[in-house]
Amino acid sequence: MSEALEEKIDTGTGYGLKPNGPLRHLAEVGPGTPYGEVLRRYWHPVGRSSDATSRPRKIKLLGEELILFRTRKDGTAALLHPRCVHRGASLFYGAVEDDGIRCCYHGWVFSPEGQCLEQPCEPGLGLHREKVRQPWYPLQERYGLIWAYMGPPELKPLLPRYDPFENIPDGHHLMVNDAGVGGGGPADLDFNWLQHWENVMDPFHVPILHARFSGEQFTAEMALMPEVAYEYTSNGVRSTQLRVLDESRVLRRVTEVMFPNIRVVPSPKLSEGTTNMIGWVVPGDDTNFRIFTVAVSEDPEFLSKLRSTHGGKPWATLSEDEHQRMPGDYEAQKSQGNVSFHADDHLSTTDQGVAMIRRMMAKQIRAVEAGSDPAGIIRDAESETVSITGGNFLVPTTSSGT
Amino acid sequence: MTENTSLINRKSGNTRPLLMLGVDGVIALEQAATLPTVSEHVTASGKWSREVLVPVGTKELIAELTESYDIVWVSEWGANAHVAFAGVLGLPPKPWPYLPAQFNKLSRIQRFAGSRPWIWIDDPLVDLDPLPADPQGLVLRVDPARGLVGLGKAVFWKLTDNNPDTDLR
Repeated sequence: MSEALEEKIDTGTGYGLKPNGPLRHLAEVGPGTPYGEVLRRYWHPVGRSSDATSRPRKIKLLGEELILFRTRKDGTAALLHPRCVHRGASLFYGAVEDDGIRCCYHGWVFSPEGQCLEQPCEPGLGLHREKVRQPWYPLQERYGLIWAYMGPPELKPLLPRYDPFENIPDGHHLMVNDAGVGGGGPADLDFNWLQHWENVMDPFHVPILHARFSGEQFTAEMALMPEVAYEYTSNGVRSTQLRVLDESRVLRRVTEVMFPNIRVVPSPKLSEGTTNMIGWVVPGDDTNFRIFTVAVSEDPEFLSKLRSTHGGKPWATLSEDEHQRMPGDYEAQKSQGNVSFHADDHLSTTDQGVAMIRRMMAKQIRAVEAGSDPAGIIRDAESETVSITGGNFLVPTTSSGT
Repeated sequence: MTENTSLINRKSGNTRPLLMLGVDGVIALEQAATLPTVSEHVTASGKWSREVLVPVGTKELIAELTESYDIVWVSEWGANAHVAFAGVLGLPPKPWPYLPAQFNKLSRIQRFAGSRPWIWIDDPLVDLDPLPADPQGLVLRVDPARGLVGLGKAVFWKLTDNNPDTDLR
């Protein structure tokens, strides 16, 4: 081939492209997966307290199908594997009774801790029923949420408390939302959870996606490109973003991720002070997750009002054309793929925070594999309250650190 | 430490070996270090900044290594590895090449190196998947509490044949 002809040959085309695929160690959540085992060292929200009733409810959490219900007599919430240990009928079709749930097939009754209480077709209502156990997971209820621990029983930690929710001022309300606050899309988000979680440490996308592309989705201040300071904390990664508002004022915005899946993102509409809300990015499986958000506010509608709009319209009412013209977090993150091909990413300057999360995730995988506690595990009751530093702070230029 | 000493056999002519360097755990330590460090404020052209711990002696060791190796940054810090550490490590104005990789870096290193011999020094954390038995170069893993300096100069004397009494073949 002549040199002249070689110069005319196109380079960098898509022909023969071989994607490297996801970082499965970090993204996958099922039993036995590296980060799935990390996730199983912590408590996770499985639903609002009101979701547990005498009607069995299907729940998917960390790749496991489960049944949530609440006993009739003392109102104990319960989370059992659906497949009846007898011969496999689903407890979804069971009937919740005073002390447990009765399988629809042969009537075996299981307590919230999986003990078999009755086998009505067996002699003596089951003379050997103590030999079987329906798989179950421990639950606790706090802040209007039901929390499950799905890890090794001997390693069960304390369920943390969070300081914004411990001393609620008069006239304020504690509220819970599971409709995807911060997700920018539906309540059931249909892609890998990590794409959303690591976005929390990417403040550089805000002036582009949420302003330049889609109009001002939050506030004019958020449309400014920030200068960012990143740091590891004992339980995650923190970014401190400085946006110069004018000659005398700087917006100092602090966001945090806390392990294993917590987002501390203050209101993008810039309520001033330490944040009043925390979100949990809870994987149902590798390609679905929900965001449970707890907040304290005088306004009982605070969380529902927080949803960003696109051209003044709520996300759910957008046409396909509007989704394309005014994309938000959902469009950007979902379009990365059901599970993003992280190994094909070209990490650049603006990805430092994302890289720090991924690195800290890998560290937690190693810690768990080595038999150690991952970051943020609490075993001492005196340390059970987690302090939150995230927030929006208007400060004079001279004290901003710029 | 994982070593494949066949690298030395591939060192030929006047082609200097490549030294592929990770940053986190190698140059910048994050955890309680077991050797003296200095806290450094590094920045990526003003876009972001971080405080990192750099072991005492890193600057001098890097300077020595440049006498025998062509250094390539292989890190999620990407181009910012050179930018952020230029002052701290006294790096030359012309940036060294970089591969913006965070995990499972071997295939990118192999592609970049081609037929040139290489040594890759990194934090073991970057190996999400196990390395092959023959990575086609020399792989050294640091203790992330000690970083590059923790490997000790003797390792590099061996590798660069500065110590003629050492035969790694």
